[in-house]
Amino acid sequence: MENGQREQGGSEYAVEMLHITKRFPGIIANDDITLQLRKGEIHALLGENGAGKSTLMSVLFGLYQPEEGEIRINGKKVHINDPNDANDLGIGMVHQHFKLVECFTVLDNIILGVEPVSKLGFLKKAEARQRLIELSRKYGLSVDPDARISDITVGMQQRTEILKMLYRENDILIFDEPTAVLTPQEIEELMQIMKNLAAEGKSILFISHKLAEIMAVADRCSVLRKGKYIGTVNTKDTTVDELSAMMVGRNVNFHVEKEPRTPGKVILKVEGMTVASRMHKNNAVKNVSFEVREGEIVCIAGIDGNGQTEFVYGLSGLEPLVSGKITLGGKDVSKTAIRERSILGMSHIPEDRHKHGLVLDYTLEDNIVLQRYFEPDYTKAGFLRRKNIRSYAEKLIEQYDIRSGQGPATIARSMSGGNQQKAIVAREIDKDPSLLIAVQPTRGLDVGAIEYIHKQLVAHRDAGKAVLLVSLEMDEVLDVSDRILVMYEGEIVAELDPKTTTPEEMGLYMAGAKRKEM
Amino acid sequence: MEKKISFLKKPAVQTLIASLLCILLGLLVGFIVLLIINPSGAWNAMSTIMRNFWSFSSARGQIKNFGNTLAKTAPLLMCSLSVLFAYKVGLFNIGAAGQYVAGVGVGLYFAIGLQMPWWVSLIAGTLAGALLGALSGILKAYRNVNEVISCIMLNWISLYLVNTLLAPYMDITMSETWSLKKFYPSAVLPSLGLESLLNNHQYVTLAIPLAILVAVAVWVLLSKTRLGYELKATGLNKNAAKYCGMRDRFNIVLTMAIAGALAGMGAGMFYLTDMIKWPSTVTAVPAMGFNGIAAAFLGGLHPIGAVFSSFFIQHITDGGSFMEKTYPSEIAGLISSVIIYMCAFVLFFRQIMNRPKRHEKVKGGNIK
Amino acid sequence: MILLIQYTLLFASVLLLVALGGCFSEHSGVINIGLEGIMVFGALGGALVMRYLPGGTSAVVIVCLCVCAAMLAGMIYSLLLAVAAVNFKADQTLVGTAMNLLGTAAATVIVKALNTAANPDNPSATIQYVNERKAFLMFDNLEFSWLMPLTLVLLILAYTVLYKTRFGLRLQACGEHPQAAASVGINVYKMRYAGVMTSGLLGGLGGLAYITAGVSEWKFENGVAGFGFLALAVMIFGGWKPFRIALAALLFGFFRSLSNVYTGFDILNQLNLPGTVYNMMPYIISLIVLILFSKNSAAPKAEGIPYDQGSR
Repeated sequence: MENGQREQGGSEYAVEMLHITKRFPGIIANDDITLQLRKGEIHALLGENGAGKSTLMSVLFGLYQPEEGEIRINGKKVHINDPNDANDLGIGMVHQHFKLVECFTVLDNIILGVEPVSKLGFLKKAEARQRLIELSRKYGLSVDPDARISDITVGMQQRTEILKMLYRENDILIFDEPTAVLTPQEIEELMQIMKNLAAEGKSILFISHKLAEIMAVADRCSVLRKGKYIGTVNTKDTTVDELSAMMVGRNVNFHVEKEPRTPGKVILKVEGMTVASRMHKNNAVKNVSFEVREGEIVCIAGIDGNGQTEFVYGLSGLEPLVSGKITLGGKDVSKTAIRERSILGMSHIPEDRHKHGLVLDYTLEDNIVLQRYFEPDYTKAGFLRRKNIRSYAEKLIEQYDIRSGQGPATIARSMSGGNQQKAIVAREIDKDPSLLIAVQPTRGLDVGAIEYIHKQLVAHRDAGKAVLLVSLEMDEVLDVSDRILVMYEGEIVAELDPKTTTPEEMGLYMAGAKRKEM
Repeated sequence: MEKKISFLKKPAVQTLIASLLCILLGLLVGFIVLLIINPSGAWNAMSTIMRNFWSFSSARGQIKNFGNTLAKTAPLLMCSLSVLFAYKVGLFNIGAAGQYVAGVGVGLYFAIGLQMPWWVSLIAGTLAGALLGALSGILKAYRNVNEVISCIMLNWISLYLVNTLLAPYMDITMSETWSLKKFYPSAVLPSLGLESLLNNHQYVTLAIPLAILVAVAVWVLLSKTRLGYELKATGLNKNAAKYCGMRDRFNIVLTMAIAGALAGMGAGMFYLTDMIKWPSTVTAVPAMGFNGIAAAFLGGLHPIGAVFSSFFIQHITDGGSFMEKTYPSEIAGLISSVIIYMCAFVLFFRQIMNRPKRHEKVKGGNIK
Repeated sequence: MILLIQYTLLFASVLLLVALGGCFSEHSGVINIGLEGIMVFGALGGALVMRYLPGGTSAVVIVCLCVCAAMLAGMIYSLLLAVAAVNFKADQTLVGTAMNLLGTAAATVIVKALNTAANPDNPSATIQYVNERKAFLMFDNLEFSWLMPLTLVLLILAYTVLYKTRFGLRLQACGEHPQAAASVGINVYKMRYAGVMTSGLLGGLGGLAYITAGVSEWKFENGVAGFGFLALAVMIFGGWKPFRIALAALLFGFFRSLSNVYTGFDILNQLNLPGTVYNMMPYIISLIVLILFSKNSAAPKAEGIPYDQGSR
């Protein structure tokens, strides 16, 4: 690239973030972090949720000003005050949640902010389209310039985001968790695109916590943990295990201690369940049948977006079934209301704790009784029995170690994510349900909280109850479950035994490359 | 995290400070306008507004005007309860104005057209308001129509419907509906002996204690009952309400119906005293419902606060009409509209005082 | 018949101007319930100019000055919304309601004060402009105002600005996805100010058009009798798109004028419908449109949601 030549300047690094420290009240989000991105390399930034990756990127984009440290671009010290400055320095980013205007066309989204205009301020779209078509050919990024964002696939939306950076002639490209929303094929394609871009002289920073992808595509990898810089390694010289240890701080033994158990009688029986999709016209869950028994943890594994959400909605009653039958404890509940299912012994730890799990502006105690406020213990003649609610909340807070500023009277919104999740887990498990449906119960939590929740699930199983775990994390699936059902495009494509299967085998089923006759 | 909440962080204290600040700013703007119009009498005019009935020298005049203010406070309080009830459940009931109009129309129709006694007319007006409110609720719950927009449309629809409904019952010589006192005395709200307390004030009726009672009932409903718990949960997070088995859509409809009933009842409490009549040509939605918004926010969105804020707003409005003729009486309206404008900033002001620490917010964002 | 067309066009031009104003505000992401108040202030601005211009001022000067004054008054008044909604993230419905109440109250106070100051025996809130208003008429004996062709020009301008210029693209991005707009370096606050102020400008002009439509004096106590709200209905019926808004304005203007002149038509007289039916029609129609199409509404996605630079 001419650009690259011009600004070569002698430095081997495109971006250097040296000794960056960023504090927030009560927490050091970035503690003396150094990140050096070489020109033309793919550099992975690895870390768990809350490790400080987002903060570091916000510093790079001028959204936060660091207390200490400096940033150099192509060897020159710079001050970045807002995203415009970053853009002027040639830094572009594909955000995890795309920043695209849904009702605009691909072309409009790409030119937004850098529109070519005539002297009077009129848009020169023909010119822009010509450039876009050239770029898309050069890098093999096929898009339809005139399609609306709301009509195209996630993959094409991501290509639009990439083209947005290329259109701005950015040389430093940042990808924030880019594979989370993609299908395996699209991930393959993206990896290839990233390699092509690097070959063209672009410098790429790849933020991820998926080790396999980092090993596959990155040249080097920097690891952050709890706001601190741990180190940088060449991917050629390291292993997945080593990276994993760097990320979590010890050779993690994710393995959950649990005794073998023989499952008892059937609690949940699902026959031919079909649930409509809320996004498309076709069905998201197709003709699914399975059973969950007393004393076992059955896990639904799969890549995000293969119908798991609708599957759970159908089971819990949030969405009506198109067809099929659900039997809970011997009773047909296919058309039963949510409240009834709950009373009959179904508990549900929802996927999205902010959307479904909590009324964030209610107090902790009011959230804790959310599933039983109507019981005689907590309501009498239409009036709430505040004293009983308080003492029940205090009991659960103690028992499940839910930490908050003002105890039962704390507003849920002000609690940390981990403690919010604990409150939900406490509420759902303390109902003593015969069937516990836990959907991604550990999402976004730190290691300690994850272990705690896993233990709770196992304890519930050991108490002779049925647990249905829906998870996207392969480790969690393998460690916690007694039986694995793999879901692909709304169908159960395999039943696996966690003791005998391997991640590789599971991956094949999850990606749809293989299926068993069920 | 500090466990003790400082005095200034107590929600009730904050609300009170914020409301007083709004009043102060409103009065300040009013005073400045008075000064601009005519500096020499401005202070006098301002004190007339503030003193309202006390500006009368005779005890008789004071009591008469105090009674007038009370009688007009009742409907205002009801409209503000209507607004705040819906707001607590996450809905903005800008339709209180239209529900109030529906209450007037149906109430007077029952009183004059069907010659029903007061209590039937009052209930009919209440139900009319409830029906209109429920309609917005249904549109919101089942068709996802923003309640603010549907309420605005319904405000005008109900205005024109009521004009049509009451057209046959006009006293042509006065260009307004027939006087209830003269022709339909059984439709007038009873005073329960309250009038004797205020020098036989003819408009002081059951409405005043009833409105206060309703305010207390709304407070109890919202803070003490299972229904209040459900409604607030639905308003704050519809998805969570559905998830835990509440009837989320029904609750939205119920909320709007109750809000509408409150406004409709307020209309009955005013028009069935015969203090006011519906004119034959009404081209604008009466401001009562909108003033209810002002009273609701000024009262810190608390039913008991609304009792005081409604009285205050009515107090200065009446006071405005006693100023010397050099000053336009609408100054009072100006002051109360400045107060509601200021109320828009109150939420911001309180948010700042109560904002969680920055890193907590960042954390919350990451999890999504 | 000519009367009907005349009134239809008069009302339609008022509605179109105000609805286009609302359209700009909403495309920037701010719901403008306060159009009614903005109209009153625009009307006040225009009326005051007409009142204080010396007699014998040429027609062109009168029209130009009135138009500028109305736009300016509307724009300044709309700043109340911009400050509260953009900088302070206030509830936009609440602010709009306050502005409507304030508009009528403040205008009444101002006019009354001026009237009383000029003549202590005249405490009314009415401004008369019998002669000045004639400057607006294109023909001597027909009610066709110069504001109509101006409205047409503004309509075309509004369309061009929204869909053909950089400003329009950025404005709409702020109303649809402000975070996306901010991520490519667009100043969302500035764009929202621009959107709200444009709506003030057009709304103010709409106010002027309204008080010069067939009448020679205006009682400011009456405000603008719900035209601001009707314009909101027009905007919704028009699906937030300028040319469809124009058609909606014609339709609603037609109903509005029918309610004024329906007695002049034999057929309509025979229907024996009360005049209020024609008044109600626009609101009922837009309500039905809302019911039918709300699931895939064309409303800007981020409208009504305060934008906070901190939250991403």
